[in-house]
Amino acid sequence: MTKQLHFARPLSVSEATTLLANHPTARIIAGGTDLLVKWKNGILPDLTHLVDLGNLKLTSIAQEGDHIAIGSGCTMSQIAEHPLVKKKFPALVTAALQVGALQIRNLATLGGNVANASPAGDTIPALLTLEAQVRLAGIKGVRLVPLAKFFTGPGKTEMEAGDLIEAFLIPDRETKGTFFKLGERRAHAISKVSLALSSWAMPGSRIAWRIALGAVAPTVIRARRAETLLEGASESLTEKIIEQACQLVCEEATPISDIRSEKEYRKKMVGVLLKRALEKLKKA
Amino acid sequence: MNKPELVTVSFKLNGKKVEAEIPPGRTLLEMLRRDLGLVATKEGCAKGECGACTVIFNGKTLNSCLKLAAQLLPEDEVVTLEGIEKDPLAHRVQKAFVEEGAVQCGFCTPGMVVSSYVLLKETPRPTEEHMKEALSGNLCRCTGYSKIIKAVKRASEE
Repeated sequence: MTKQLHFARPLSVSEATTLLANHPTARIIAGGTDLLVKWKNGILPDLTHLVDLGNLKLTSIAQEGDHIAIGSGCTMSQIAEHPLVKKKFPALVTAALQVGALQIRNLATLGGNVANASPAGDTIPALLTLEAQVRLAGIKGVRLVPLAKFFTGPGKTEMEAGDLIEAFLIPDRETKGTFFKLGERRAHAISKVSLALSSWAMPGSRIAWRIALGAVAPTVIRARRAETLLEGASESLTEKIIEQACQLVCEEATPISDIRSEKEYRKKMVGVLLKRALEKLKKA
Repeated sequence: MNKPELVTVSFKLNGKKVEAEIPPGRTLLEMLRRDLGLVATKEGCAKGECGACTVIFNGKTLNSCLKLAAQLLPEDEVVTLEGIEKDPLAHRVQKAFVEEGAVQCGFCTPGMVVSSYVLLKETPRPTEEHMKEALSGNLCRCTGYSKIIKAVKRASEE
């Protein structure tokens, strides 16, 4: 609390983007569950402005054409409890329910989790499997960026000065899915490794499979080789195919050893998590 | 010396409208304890990891150490332990904690009571698994949790 901080609550998107663009040392504060911790830990020494987006009311979840739009200001609890999300995007529900702990989930926002861009961010793999797009508002207007292209490195995104995330657009489909994470504890744990799985029916009785891996690469990644294998298989997956898919995700993961875990463990566990996820979907 | 920039906030606190003038960086927890004299809510880690600072915000629990006071709106309702003390459910929870020996140093207890209260209000007869999950955001370094769970169970059965 040493430096003089300014607090702003702009009344419109354009006021917010202008403010952010004019002050490169300003940061958006939503739930504050990452930002305040970083600030108190002294990791943001240059922080001058906190910009609260509460007036922009980016908290709705609704159908928008052939997408479901989830406002960036929606909390994890809000997302996990919403009938549309529960019906269509179970991977996202499962992920949102494993962020932090209850008190965190009632405060932390989807926009914050994504903008924080941790490779271990729990909602990101789920959103990736659902082929989400990010709707960004900036000083030049609104643009859509596929989430798959949104992250450029650990903690780094395609956002430019003045940008804010308005919403996430997810193609309107009824999916099956789930999310698994491994952490030091069952709550309040940053993921050592995580996996999201989503699948949905396609025309011609084919099934689409999407797998995303967290904390095993500089950003969250899709396991495309495993996906292709699963999609090439006939309707019910044999044990052999599952085994091969698990082997493939292990190969596609490129983890490092760090303070939280070792690369050998992470590499091995993505395969275990895929097996658990596929078994869970089979039972459902 | 620059006069620090202050933000005026008004919101509902324990059923009453309050107004406060605070620096932008002040958290709800700091404001409750320092400016408003409500010290039941404790600061454990100041990083949202221990739950000692748990309050009820618009009906849901959150870590008040992570909520900036400046973000409060007039329609927001904050309820602290002081605000639920007269509620028979809160009394049952507190009594159960004492009777089951779920209080040792007592520092986690306010947060535990608030979280347990909200749990039982929403789910009067939770399973043990549900209780553990609902309280997983409240850490205790003394009791090992089993007596806390027993206390919540007792409060739910009375």
